[in-house]
Amino acid sequence: MTAANQPCSPPDPRGFWDSPADALVRRTAAVDWIASESFRTHLEPVAPEGMALLAVGGFGRRELFPHSDVDLLLLIEKQGVPERLRTAISAFLQSLWDSNLRVSHSVRTPVDCSALDEQNIELSISLLDERYVAGDRGLHAKLGVAMARYLDRQAQALAGHLCRLVRERHAKHGGSIYQLEPNIKESPGGLRDYQLIAWLKRLRDARHGRPGPEDDAPDLGPARDFLFGLRTYLHYRAGRDSNTLTFELQDEIAELFGTGPARWMRRYYSFAGGIALEALRAIETVDEQSNSLLIQFRDWRSRVSNAEFRVSRERVYFRLPQHLEHDPAMALRLFEFVGRHGMHVALETVRRLDRYAAELKRYLSQRPAPLWAAVKAILATPHCALALRAMHETGVLADLFPEWAAAECLVIRDFYHRYTVDEHTLRAIRILEDLGTTKDPAVKHVAGLYAEIDRPDLVTFALLFHDLGKALKEGLAHVGASVELAAAAMERLGTPEEDRRTVVALIEHHLALSSVMNSRDLEDPATAPFIAAKAGTLEGLKQLTVLTFADISAVNPSAMSPWRMEQLWRVYLIGYQELTRELESDRIHESGIEKTGMEEFLEGFPVRYLRKHSAAEIDAHYQLEQRSRERGVAVDIRRESGFYRLTLVARDRPALLSAIAGAMAGFGMNILRAEGFANRRGTILDTFVFEDPHRTLELNPTEVDRLRLTLERVTLGRLDVKELLRSRPAPTPPTKRARISPTVSFDTRVSEVATLIEVVAEDRPGLLYALSSAITSAGANIEVVLIDTRAHKAIDVFYVTSEGKKLDAAQQAGLKEKLLKACAP
Amino acid sequence: MKKIEAIIQPFKFDDVKEAMKAIGIDGMTVSEVRGHGRQKGHKEVYRGQEYEVDLLPKVKLEMVIPDARLEEVVQTLTRSARTGKIGDGKVFVYEVAEAVRIRNDDRGESAL
Repeated sequence: MTAANQPCSPPDPRGFWDSPADALVRRTAAVDWIASESFRTHLEPVAPEGMALLAVGGFGRRELFPHSDVDLLLLIEKQGVPERLRTAISAFLQSLWDSNLRVSHSVRTPVDCSALDEQNIELSISLLDERYVAGDRGLHAKLGVAMARYLDRQAQALAGHLCRLVRERHAKHGGSIYQLEPNIKESPGGLRDYQLIAWLKRLRDARHGRPGPEDDAPDLGPARDFLFGLRTYLHYRAGRDSNTLTFELQDEIAELFGTGPARWMRRYYSFAGGIALEALRAIETVDEQSNSLLIQFRDWRSRVSNAEFRVSRERVYFRLPQHLEHDPAMALRLFEFVGRHGMHVALETVRRLDRYAAELKRYLSQRPAPLWAAVKAILATPHCALALRAMHETGVLADLFPEWAAAECLVIRDFYHRYTVDEHTLRAIRILEDLGTTKDPAVKHVAGLYAEIDRPDLVTFALLFHDLGKALKEGLAHVGASVELAAAAMERLGTPEEDRRTVVALIEHHLALSSVMNSRDLEDPATAPFIAAKAGTLEGLKQLTVLTFADISAVNPSAMSPWRMEQLWRVYLIGYQELTRELESDRIHESGIEKTGMEEFLEGFPVRYLRKHSAAEIDAHYQLEQRSRERGVAVDIRRESGFYRLTLVARDRPALLSAIAGAMAGFGMNILRAEGFANRRGTILDTFVFEDPHRTLELNPTEVDRLRLTLERVTLGRLDVKELLRSRPAPTPPTKRARISPTVSFDTRVSEVATLIEVVAEDRPGLLYALSSAITSAGANIEVVLIDTRAHKAIDVFYVTSEGKKLDAAQQAGLKEKLLKACAP
Repeated sequence: MKKIEAIIQPFKFDDVKEAMKAIGIDGMTVSEVRGHGRQKGHKEVYRGQEYEVDLLPKVKLEMVIPDARLEEVVQTLTRSARTGKIGDGKVFVYEVAEAVRIRNDDRGESAL
């Protein structure tokens, strides 16, 4: 007997891709012949009837790969195999093994085969491909009848189980087609998914009792042949049933076809992508037909439909897709809708986008493309990772950002990365977004930072571009290339200058914290200033920390180990302590003897001031200082998105902060953030970001002028702030559940000259006034203040001195009591 | 044969790996571990809350080498991992009774 299952190597291995399906059919026919001959020799004499040999699984489909198992089913009339037959079956199987066939067999009755066993769904699935090989034809016909009845009853349930198994398999195999070393059988977009499409169609036809109409599904023949040839080659090279497309094999195959491995892998991803999309569509169809509470919930969710988009079964559809022709911006609004509600785009919608692809591309590639507002709206949605993935899958992302196209399916080989650049990026964005909702205690610190970030949309945008330079430059040089690509894209979109600076800084330093974790001594005094210089500001440090977390976590599922998480958090703490050591921070010092007015204004400010503000802002501050010279104070109040910003320049005097905070409280304003700088001449520049909870300023525009005037008078000491507060109603205390118990802590180590006091308390209008008054009334002087508010939590840091020195233990104890009292509403 | 187990500072790992590579030692097992010796832990304060950092992150390296190379390897390792400060780590040396290469059943130093 010949070893029909052994692959014979063609003279040119490219021959594996020549009509590979036909080659599999020929190999199957050879194995059919061996199996049926062996059946006749060993089994027919013992069981001339009441037994049939069936091919199932891949053998049944006539898709027998060189080292695949040969799946056989010995169909018997009824339960119980007599000893004589048992011996004959052993001899039959042994002869097949002797022919070098790896046989996998089972012995069952038609009744066994036509029962839904939830523990063995694989049996029912393998029977979908069953095929007669030898033995009792009448018995095989009985199985046909039993199976038809079985599928009539159970096709829907079986399809549901099949989809569940597919989801489990996808999760086990990386959940993405874009893996650097994919398993071409089991990974998403692999051969199993190709088979899934056929199985689900069979089950659908069985349910309807007739073959369904041929739909307009794309022809997957070329993708199937590509994978058939590839799997045959992998088996041939490994000498066993090995389906992993390793880097070495990618090199080898690319060379066979005279191309580079990266280019050849793009071909693989393109075929796998086509299969994965159709498999997803088939699963969606099953989901839509299943009748469950989930459907009812989904239909309830369809209430989020609006004038442009309709939601059905958790999928988004255009109401009037033809409007895309004249209003292609509707496509971007579609993705904003997806991001806002966390629902997938329907395949029908994808087709509509395809139909108007030319109009869409023309719209998105206009130069300049003033689309920042639309992009920002998408980035700011709670499910923007889903929206960006949908944009990627529909090609809209590459139309909007041609820079992105170069990273699609891009393989960068290293020991740690498991995914292509585009997949890594989209995963990182998803991980970042999940920080907003996670309850995982292992990441609670980083999740806390994410909640404190003002503009997570900018971190997302930075992540989107952080590795795109890999398409242009190798190694660390990719960072500079990514910065250039992002800068060009933002200029095209009309991104505001301040946002551009933030994004560029994040991309430029996106490896900084990783490099500190890996190669810097955290105890070295030079490490803290290094981190601070890269982060620039506390906000920058928080952004960089969450970005680093997302970037590392998306490298592979185990990259962000608890050990690394601890390291990252330590790096953050070191940076945090450095950035809040205000008094010792470097000061601006201009060495010129003849100083310009601007230089005089800046002299003595911490260097951080320059990092935090753009040239335009510094110029505006300087103009304000010029104005203040005449009257001793100048105040600027302007409305920004959702809050107000107050900038005040004045000569410093004791208890000034308390007076300003009191005036704000007197108007019912709630201070969210504040910081102050003082220059060498004793001029202070204070910035307050505040909200107007009662909309006083919005509804009464003249109140803005009155607030400004009041602040000026309070600053100059012409108005007693206590008078102002006397008429204010007491604020409503928060509910018990929302209440945050106040903490006051002192630290004398962080500064050479001052004591740091950190107060964490329930926020309320007037809190800063109460705290600063408590400090002033204790005879202490506030040197530096950093005020921050997150939701209901106020986090206020004061650097305080008493007669130019740090507070002693007794002063601390006395002040602590006063501050805790001030925290109580 | 000797087995070397070294506990080093994480930021020194790349230096040690390069130094080992330079003297032809490519094979090693690396683990992310936590611990402390005389260095002990310390307290860190963040937003008024104290965090006890009693176990510090370290990297553990394990390698098995021929007897003749012991001194050279230990010296290279300590030189490349040293900062001179507390917390630099430790190197432990063990006797190895046998080594077997699973693929082809090679024994002793030829299995290394």
